[in-house]
Parts: sequence; C-alpha cells; structure tokens
Amino acid sequence: MSTEAAATMEIETVPSESKPESNPLPPKPKFEPLKAHEMSDGRVQFRKVSVPPHRYSPLKKYWMDIYTPVYEQMKIDIRMNLKARKVELKTRQDTPDISNLQKCADFVQAFMLGFDVPDAIALLRLDELYVESFEIKDVKTLRGEHLSRAIGRLSGKGGKTKFAIENSTKTRIVIADTKIHLLGSFANIKIARDSLCSLILGSPAGKVYSKLRQVSARLAERF
Amino acid sequence: MIPSAMANSTETAVESLHHIKSTEPPEWLVPKQELSQAVRAASKLLFSSLKPHCPKSTFDQLLTEGFDAEQIWQQIDLQSQPLLSSLRREVKKFEKHPEEISKFKDGGVGGGEKKKVLEQIETDNVVNDDDDEDDDDMDMDEDEDDEEEEDEEGEEEEKERGTEEESENEGAEKGGIEDKFLKIKELREYLEEDEAREFGLKKKKTKAESKKEEEDTEEEGDDDEDENEGSVDDDDEAQEEEDGLGLFDGNDEEDEDDLENARYEDFFSRKKNKSSKEKAKSRDMLEEDSGSDDEQDVDKRKNGPSKHEKELDKLRSKIEEMEKANLDPKVWTMRGEVTAAQRQKNSALEVDLDFEHNVRPAPVITEEVTASLEDLIKTRISEGMFDDVQKARTSSSKAPREIKELDESKSKKGLAEVYEEEFVQKTDPASAPLTFSDELKKEASMLFKKLCLKLDALSHFHFTPKPVVEDMSIQTNVPALAMEEVAPMAVSDATMLAPEEVFSGKGDIKEEAELTKAERKRRRANKKRKFKAEAAKRMGKKARQMTTVGNNDEGREG
Repeated sequence: MSTEAAATMEIETVPSESKPESNPLPPKPKFEPLKAHEMSDGRVQFRKVSVPPHRYSPLKKYWMDIYTPVYEQMKIDIRMNLKARKVELKTRQDTPDISNLQKCADFVQAFMLGFDVPDAIALLRLDELYVESFEIKDVKTLRGEHLSRAIGRLSGKGGKTKFAIENSTKTRIVIADTKIHLLGSFANIKIARDSLCSLILGSPAGKVYSKLRQVSARLAERF
Repeated sequence: MIPSAMANSTETAVESLHHIKSTEPPEWLVPKQELSQAVRAASKLLFSSLKPHCPKSTFDQLLTEGFDAEQIWQQIDLQSQPLLSSLRREVKKFEKHPEEISKFKDGGVGGGEKKKVLEQIETDNVVNDDDDEDDDDMDMDEDEDDEEEEDEEGEEEEKERGTEEESENEGAEKGGIEDKFLKIKELREYLEEDEAREFGLKKKKTKAESKKEEEDTEEEGDDDEDENEGSVDDDDEAQEEEDGLGLFDGNDEEDEDDLENARYEDFFSRKKNKSSKEKAKSRDMLEEDSGSDDEQDVDKRKNGPSKHEKELDKLRSKIEEMEKANLDPKVWTMRGEVTAAQRQKNSALEVDLDFEHNVRPAPVITEEVTASLEDLIKTRISEGMFDDVQKARTSSSKAPREIKELDESKSKKGLAEVYEEEFVQKTDPASAPLTFSDELKKEASMLFKKLCLKLDALSHFHFTPKPVVEDMSIQTNVPALAMEEVAPMAVSDATMLAPEEVFSGKGDIKEEAELTKAERKRRRANKKRKFKAEAAKRMGKKARQMTTVGNNDEGREG
C-alpha cells in the first residue's frame, strides 16, 4: 500500500510538489494497502496454464480438488478454457496477496507436470517448495536400450526406488519418459537429484539406498 | 685150611684150568655141570692167587658154593677193579719212562718175582675173559674191553707197588735223581710241613674237591688236590694231569668202585703220602728245590712284622697318599668355575652335573594322568561348564541411533502433510504426531501389557517386580530447553545428546566430490571387502541350510 501510495504520489505529486513550498506542509496522507486487482493499475491479472493432452482426463477427474482450494482459500478465479485447452487464473477483488496468483499458477502447473493434487497442494501452503525438472540426456547421453534401462533403474521394481527416494528426501518425483520433475524444498531436491543422477549414471539401487540413508540421517539431525 | 688139601685143590684147579682151555668153543653154548664146576674151581684158584697183590680185598677166597654166576662175578670184580687201575697207571708210567723197566728188570730177585707175577696176571686175565663168556654172552664185548683195561691197571698197580717198595728199600738206585742238593727225605719233610701249613687254609678247598671227586674220577681229584697243595713246578702238574687224564679214558667202572670205597684216610692221610711220593719221582728236582728253599725263607720273614707295625705301615701309606693328593692340582670338578677349555674333552659327560633348569620338566604322561584328564572332561561335559570365550560387549555410551528404514512404498501422506509434520516437530515437539515407528512401539507395548496382565493373573498377582535394568534409553536429539519447558519460546544450542553421540566421526566424512583418486579407491576397496565378508557369511549359512535340506531331499529321493 505504501508503495502504491508512493507510486501514486509520484505520479500526482509532480504538480503538487510546487505547492507546499509556499504553504506549510500538509499532513501526510494515510492510504490503505492496495488490493491485488489494484496493484496493476486496477487491472486484473491473469495466468494461463496450458494443459498437455495426457493430463486432460486427470484434470477433469480432479477438477474440484483443484478448484476448491484455489477459489476458496487462495481467492483466485480459476477456469478451464476448453477450446484453448488452458486453465486460466484471475485475481479477484478480495484476493489478499498478489503472490497467491503465482502460487496457484504454480500449483496448477505442478499438476500439469504430473504431480498429485495432495502433493501439489503443498506448493500452495509452503513458500519454499520448488519444482525442478531435468532430462536424462542432461545427465548422460543414452540411447535405445540403455535409455530404457536407465528409466527402469530410476523407478525400480514397482517404483520402489522412486518411492524410497521420495520418502527419504521428502520430495516428490515424476518420471515422464525422459523428463524428470522434482517437487520439494531446495536441499531435498538437491539430494533427490543427486540420487537420481547416480542411478542414471549406472550405480545400483543398493548403493543409492546406502547413500540416501546416510544423507537422510544427517538431514534429520539438523534442524 | 690144611696145606695138603690146599695143594690138592690147587692141582685140581690147575687141571680144571687146562681142561677149560682145551674145550672147544661150541661146547660152551650148552650149559654143562662138569664145565661149570671146573670153571668155579679155576676161578677160586685165581682169586686166591691174586689176593696178596690186592691192597684192600674184602674176600679171603672166592665163594662159589651156592652162589649165582652174577654173585661170583661181582666178587671177582671187587678184587680186580683196583688192581686194574693200578696196573694201568704202572703201564702208563713205564710207557713214558722206559728206563725204569730196565731198572725193574735189573732189580734182580724182586724184578724176577715181579715178572712171574706179571705172567700170572696175564693168564688170570685171560681166564677172567673166559669166565665172562661163560656167564653172560651178551656182555661179552663190553666186558672184554673192561677186562683188558682192568688188566692194564692191574699191571700198573703191580708195577707201582714194586717201584714204591724199591724206592723205599733201595734209595741208592734212585741216586741218579738225588744229588747233594736234593734229598728226597728232606723234600718229603718239607712237603709235609707245607701241607700241614696249608691244610688249615685249604681245608675248605679240599672238601670242595671231595665233592668234585664224586663227579670226577678219583685220579683227577687227586691231581687237582696235588696242584692246590702248593706244587710249584708246572711239569709236575702236567704229568699228574696227564696221568689222571690217561687213566680217565676208560675208567668208568673203576671210578665207581673207588667212590664206593672212599674213606676219610683216602682224602686226608694217604693222599699226602701219595702226593709226596709222586713228587719224589718228578724230573726237574732242581727247580723244585730252589722253589722250596725260597718258600722256606719267605715263611720265616712273614712271621717277623707284628700287628702294630703293620698298622703303622698302613697309616703311613695313607698319610702319604693324602699329602700327595693335597699337593697335586685339584680335580676340575673341585676347582670352581671351569670352562670347557680348562678341562678334558668329554670330561663333563662322566660327571653327574647339577644345574638349575629354567624349563619346567615336561609332564610324564602316565595312565593316571590321562585318566584324571578324562574324568575332568567328563564332569565338565555333564555339567555343561565350558570355558568358552565370552564376547566382550562394548558398553554403548551413546544412544543407539534409530536406524531409519527406507520405506519403499508410496507414501500415503501428501507432501504437504509431510512438511507440516516436520514444521510442527520443529516448533512444538510435544504435540508432534507420533511417527510410524512410535506408533508401532505403542502398539507393541500395549500388547505386552495385556499379556503381562494375563500372566500375573495366573500367579494370583503375586509377583516380584522386575529389577530395574538400565538397558537402553533412547534419547531423542531434541533441545533440552524444549523438553523442559512446556512452551519453548526460544531455541537453544544445548541438545540432549553429546556431540559424540550426535556424530562420532566414523564413516565417510568427505563427500565424493572432495576425495582424491587414491582416497576414492580406498573407500571402494573397503566397501568391497565388507561386502565380500558378508557374502561369504551368507554363503556359509546357505551351505549349511543346503546340506540339511539336501540330506532330506536325498532321503526322500533315495
């Protein structure tokens, strides 16, 4: 609000600055903080998140789980543009914070990447969670069967390796063919990324587990 | 009896002798009364004629009436045995010294008489042969041999008698042996003296010799005794030995006869005379004489030193010895510290050395030792009290770390909830919802309490409380302030766990990015080693399981 006030002041006080030179200073005005929709000159802000085709049906399935927290708690308008295949988010008048829009956008984006709604909701609740994505080819160039095997190594039998990493590092991992997405705090993402990279590079799962144990134990002792 | 009768009997006997001579041998095969009568008469005659020549004859005349052939023969044997031995001796002597025969011959009347006697003896001996033929056809050969030997001995003895008489009577004839230095008489006296002296010493020996005699011949015994009785001259001994041996050749029956007649006089009175007389006949009189002279002198000297003087001599000699020993250098064993160079080679082997052994002597394994060991083993096994090595438990000073188990299943909580929990635990540990492990623990403790309740009910609630054993206390690494205060507003550095308990410094401190190549290799090698050890353990376990399983399978298949 103060900034807005200052901004407005800046715009308007140019002519008015000359005035108080002759007269005694008027009292400082007190303005209330700007609302989200006022922030951008009263204009409404939008965010648009495109929906990939494979997430179309899950979106339809979990639409209400997505819509409810966004609209109720974040106070952001959310709608699905079927024609454009995009989710649109808009600030309302009673949106408390402009960051909410961004958070909701991130939340929807995370869902589009493949994360589950409960996991993605953490984005809404906690500030310091991030989503990181990288590709297998970024780590090591693998072709054909090697690539397939690497993917298999990453997920493990029934996904147990992935879950092990998730549980020990408090992150969530989405392996989408050659793309890997990580959701979690910064340090945890780092650890998870390291484990995944070692798996891609060829280390056996047992080795990764032992390392994970060490690291997680060390993490747990910190606060 | 009446000499006329005697003369008649002799004539008849001679006639009978002639008659016997004339009969043909085949006629003897059949027993005839006439012949036997003739033979008896003849033998009677012969017996009586021979009697004066026998020194010790039990019968005055041959008793033939009512006597068996064997008995008559025994009588004849009694007479002829000593005769034969003496005759044999005589013959041997004359064999060696033929000049005596000439002397014998020169002896004149005595010699002539002796000659006749010899002839008679020869005939008698022939008759004796015939007698044997009459009585025993079987024993003919043996008896003939014996008879011949007896004949020889008889002759010898005759000769001996003759020579003895001669020597006694005609000392002049033996003058060739004696000279001014040697007197036979003196010799004899000396010998007797010597024997008297030695008799006291040699009494035992003679008795032993007498025992010997029962085994050996009398002649041999005589010879031995002669030797023992101080004969110095070897030649004498040799001669006597030879005589004895020569006589021994075929002397069995005569020995028996002598042994039967052995009497005290033979050993202790007549023996001496015999020996002295035999020595008188010896050749080397000179040596003997000189020996005898020396011995006589020695006898006189030995009687000189008294007992006291003898003792003094002994003492003196002893003293000399000891003084000499003291002056000489000591024996090496008495010298103190002696090195090998200061004593003779291998001299330490002969001495029984005593030194300290620093080593305990090896135990001698006897049956008792092994038995005791086995008993001990049995008792230990029955008791089950083995001396196994107990593993030393390292006292855990630090709290056992809660090993976080890697959950390989999809987490049921959403990420938001996970972070929520984490946040809550950080800020407000008391109200933090229990972790999975805690929930499990809670459940387990609940179950155990229920079980304990049931067990206590069994014992009517009479139970001794468990002794409080501080086993393990899990300490959470939570700020002390947080635990103490209800609502911790501040966060402090002080934790419940000590720094070592938080992090001991073991394990890989450096990250992989920080390691050098060598350190990386070392880490890898260590891990490999651990892995191999565990793998080997697992293999061992598997092998054991496999064997048991395999056996079962084999049993089934087989």
